[in-house]
Amino acid sequence: MSSRPDSTVVDRQSGSALSANADDAAAMLVGAVKRYGSGRSAVVALDDVTIAFPAGKFTAVMGPSGSGKSTMMHCAAGLDQLTSGRAFVGNTDLSALDDRELTRLRRERIGFVFQAFNLVATLTAEENICLPMTLSGRRPSVAALDQVVSLLRLGDRMHHRPTELSGGQQQRVAVARALVARPQVVFADEPTGNLDTRSGQEILGFLRSAVDLHHQSIVMVTHDPNAAAWADHVVFVVDGRVHDVMDHPSADSVIDVMKGLGR
Amino acid sequence: MSQMMRSAARSVLASRGRFMLTGTAIMLSVAFLVATLVLSDSMRGRAAGDIAEALAGTDAVVQGVVLGEPGGGPGDPERSVRRSLDPDITERVATVDGVDGAASQWVGFAKLVVDGSSVGTGTASDVGRNWVADPALNPFRLASGRPPTEVGEIVIDRSLAGDAGLAPGDVVQVLTTTGMYDATVTGVATFASADAAPLQRTVLLPDKAVSAWLDTAAPTEVLVGVAEGADRAEVLGRLSALTDAEVIDGPDHIRTMQDAATSPLQFLTVFLLAFAVVAVLIGVTIIFNTFALTVARRRRESGLLRAIGAERRQLLGGVVIEAALVGTIATLVGLVCGVAGVGALRWLVGLAGITLLTGPSIVSTTSIAVAAAVGISATVLAAWIPARRAAATPPIEALRESAAEPRVVSPARTASGLVLAAVAIAGGAVAVARSSATWALLVVAIVPALVLCGPAIVTAAARGSAQVARRAAGVCGSIAAGNLAASPRRSASTALALMLGTAMVTMFAIFASSLTSAVGTDVREGLQADLVVTSATADFPTIDPTLAGRIAALPDVDEVAALSIAEGIVAGKAEAIGGIDPTALPTTFDLDPIAGDLADLSDGGVAVVGDDPTLLGGTLAIEFERSTLEAPIVAVVARSTGGFEAPLYFVDRATLDASVGRLLDALLFVDLADGAVADAEEDVRALVRATPGSFFETRAEHVANSGSEIAAFRNFIDGMLLLASFIALLGVANTTALAINERSGELGLLRAVGATRRELRRIVRLEVALLSFVAASIGIAVAVGFGWALIDVTGGAEIPSVVVPWSRLAVTLVVAVAAGVVAAAWPAFRVSRVPVLELAGRDR
Repeated sequence: MSSRPDSTVVDRQSGSALSANADDAAAMLVGAVKRYGSGRSAVVALDDVTIAFPAGKFTAVMGPSGSGKSTMMHCAAGLDQLTSGRAFVGNTDLSALDDRELTRLRRERIGFVFQAFNLVATLTAEENICLPMTLSGRRPSVAALDQVVSLLRLGDRMHHRPTELSGGQQQRVAVARALVARPQVVFADEPTGNLDTRSGQEILGFLRSAVDLHHQSIVMVTHDPNAAAWADHVVFVVDGRVHDVMDHPSADSVIDVMKGLGR
Repeated sequence: MSQMMRSAARSVLASRGRFMLTGTAIMLSVAFLVATLVLSDSMRGRAAGDIAEALAGTDAVVQGVVLGEPGGGPGDPERSVRRSLDPDITERVATVDGVDGAASQWVGFAKLVVDGSSVGTGTASDVGRNWVADPALNPFRLASGRPPTEVGEIVIDRSLAGDAGLAPGDVVQVLTTTGMYDATVTGVATFASADAAPLQRTVLLPDKAVSAWLDTAAPTEVLVGVAEGADRAEVLGRLSALTDAEVIDGPDHIRTMQDAATSPLQFLTVFLLAFAVVAVLIGVTIIFNTFALTVARRRRESGLLRAIGAERRQLLGGVVIEAALVGTIATLVGLVCGVAGVGALRWLVGLAGITLLTGPSIVSTTSIAVAAAVGISATVLAAWIPARRAAATPPIEALRESAAEPRVVSPARTASGLVLAAVAIAGGAVAVARSSATWALLVVAIVPALVLCGPAIVTAAARGSAQVARRAAGVCGSIAAGNLAASPRRSASTALALMLGTAMVTMFAIFASSLTSAVGTDVREGLQADLVVTSATADFPTIDPTLAGRIAALPDVDEVAALSIAEGIVAGKAEAIGGIDPTALPTTFDLDPIAGDLADLSDGGVAVVGDDPTLLGGTLAIEFERSTLEAPIVAVVARSTGGFEAPLYFVDRATLDASVGRLLDALLFVDLADGAVADAEEDVRALVRATPGSFFETRAEHVANSGSEIAAFRNFIDGMLLLASFIALLGVANTTALAINERSGELGLLRAVGATRRELRRIVRLEVALLSFVAASIGIAVAVGFGWALIDVTGGAEIPSVVVPWSRLAVTLVVAVAAGVVAAAWPAFRVSRVPVLELAGRDR
């Protein structure tokens, strides 16, 4: 397994704090290029991106539709293959892993929250939460399970099927599933996209407390400035490149930057 | 893994409807398979058990030396043809050291006649045999009455007694090869504990009556009992020193008799098994389709599982467990239904005129195990490819909108399909050109070729028919054709089951019509007589030999030509040999001589059926039971007398009688005088009616009936095909319902923009009708081409020409399309019931 490069990773455009402490990164992309198709019809979704997502922090990724923010997350999480460049989770170079090793990595060191809830319809809430661990033949510790259940206030919903839960409750189950194994990093793809404002705020609150209380690393793709405001840092992506990085965002400051993107 | 198990179980439960349909396909296949196995076990087991019990007391049997071995085809003998024994054989056997009992057994033809009509119909043969006095050696046991002692006394088997309502003391008649005799029933007997010997009706005579009634001096066999304390092997060794005889060990004899009794059933079993295999194949296609669609619909869920860390192996396992669950439940239900349904199958088989043995069903663990293994493993195997597809889902799929199947048909797939099709066609062509069955094996390549080319064919057909469909049904037609082309792979695999079904129907239709025509052609072209008298069964001549003379004595009858048939061995193969009057026959039936003169038969010559005039002048050796005939070939004829058992050689009637003993007539050809009044025909009819064992037919009736044995067979085949087609249609309904589910968004959109429910139903029906039409036409086209080649190559002398029943095939096509539309009715109804918004918004 190749180790992490020694060179200091620098975001060429901003030189932000995000890249300065690369040694503490939960996940990282180095010279990442993702091209779809070939020849003239090729579309470059990621154009030589180098970025590190700091450990124990809540990072939001923003950008207009088609900017490549989702592709960026997918590649960082090992869901999609880079055309060139490298992706790291912790010290592990994803490009060196085969499908089996990638799968293991996903279920042991990464958690996912998707926009469309994505629960397995035939399993109860509790079984859905435990699924990544049962897949690897483990059982979550009672303490860990209790912790996420109380954090997400799911106590009375554990034996319900997804269809018996509201959208907000379903997404809480999905968040619990992502958190229960205490993964190195959680990737959330528009986790509030399908929710009403109140449920969305609730979910963001849970993510925030997971970072604050348990030093969980979270990377969240969103295009809602209010959601981005819950993060520690915001990465702005435009045309497949990192355009800007903002620390301690507020909804207003995020909106200002988005306006500046001119789209 | 238990998590996957639970998840699989719940996902089966969650989609009960879909799996009910899939399950039904498997259930029916398994039920059919197990019913076939149980049926054949029961028939064979019963027959075998009875024979073993009846012959238990017989330590050895002495029979004549074998002349010819049994053949496999229609008309071939079912047991060895043997040389007659010497009349004094029984005395010689009895003097052998260690032999305790030796009993002569004469076996011949005897038919029970009550009030002028014969008793019993169907495939069982009428047997006359002597009552063996030694109870240890007699396979029959008296149930009531006493043994026959004087000429004119008989014992009948209990099944005959039941059929005719006879009891000891009743007066009856017995028809044998030497004439009709009055007889008194003195007793009723059972074969071991069964009502009758397997597939036989038996009349038991006293030894005294045998030489006159059965016309045999020498016994057919000698039943031997070994003295207690004697070494059986040694006694057998001493017996084998007897000249002109063969000694068969008791257990071997039992086995031979069991094989002989069950061989007609074996033919049936093979056919039933072939259908079971087709049913399973169609079931497999349906399972494959269902799982392929299920897996496609669950693409997002599979992607999610992959994203959160399920390994490929685990996803594969999940689908396979699901398949195993469905397979197991369906198989269990199928087993129960199959065992219970044996009765239904007996009824079906009975429709074909095959009378079966009564008695309880024998359900062996092997039958159950085989059917269960086939059911479960077929399901799991059929789900394997879709399961692999599910396992290969990239995790990124979880985050995408579910991608539809690619519209483009892979050119490589089509190309390899075309190559295989070319191989199959070339193989067929070479096979026909060279008359080589080996090359014909290549024809099998057409099946994978169809599987591979299916999507391309469906796409092409959909495009080709789009214009027509539009003109016929407006925009609904266009959409229906477009839907087919939109998912060529799914459409093709739906079509496959139907294609297989229609191809089967077509192949059998061609086979049956060719066979019927082959059997009928000679009669159609050669028959000149106005009237024909036929035997009660096709297998054995049963016409009273005096009848010909009595008909000839009627006024206005010009000529009566009798045909008798006996078995003889020519070049080691058992053949039917016809005995004719060489002057009378040609005026009633034109054998179409191409060389020589039939009149020379009366000098002891032989006529050969064939198309090679150079055979004339050669010598032919025919071995009969009693003697060997060496005769010059004096004529070559192009035609035989027709029917299933048509002779391939003709000799003078007197020559045949001298070689095998007296025979009954198989057929009488009656020619009326020119200008004879209708009364003449009525006179003949009345006389024939009054004579048991003979049937009256006009020329037209005889021509029409000459293929009737096959008609019964065809009814049976049709029944089986109906079942196979029903399973195929289940598949169409299932796949269509699933496909509609998948397209619910699109259909909802149609409703939203103003399509009525009726139009929606119409689209679904049109789509299925189009698909059924394409599938059925291809199935028929392929089957016509390859059925023709196969019959041409393997048909030989029995099926010289191929006859394609076009009208029947047209009906098949119409029925297939209509049935497809019926199958689509339920999914069409369902889709039109769903509210607009739900359709448009349904997520999965």
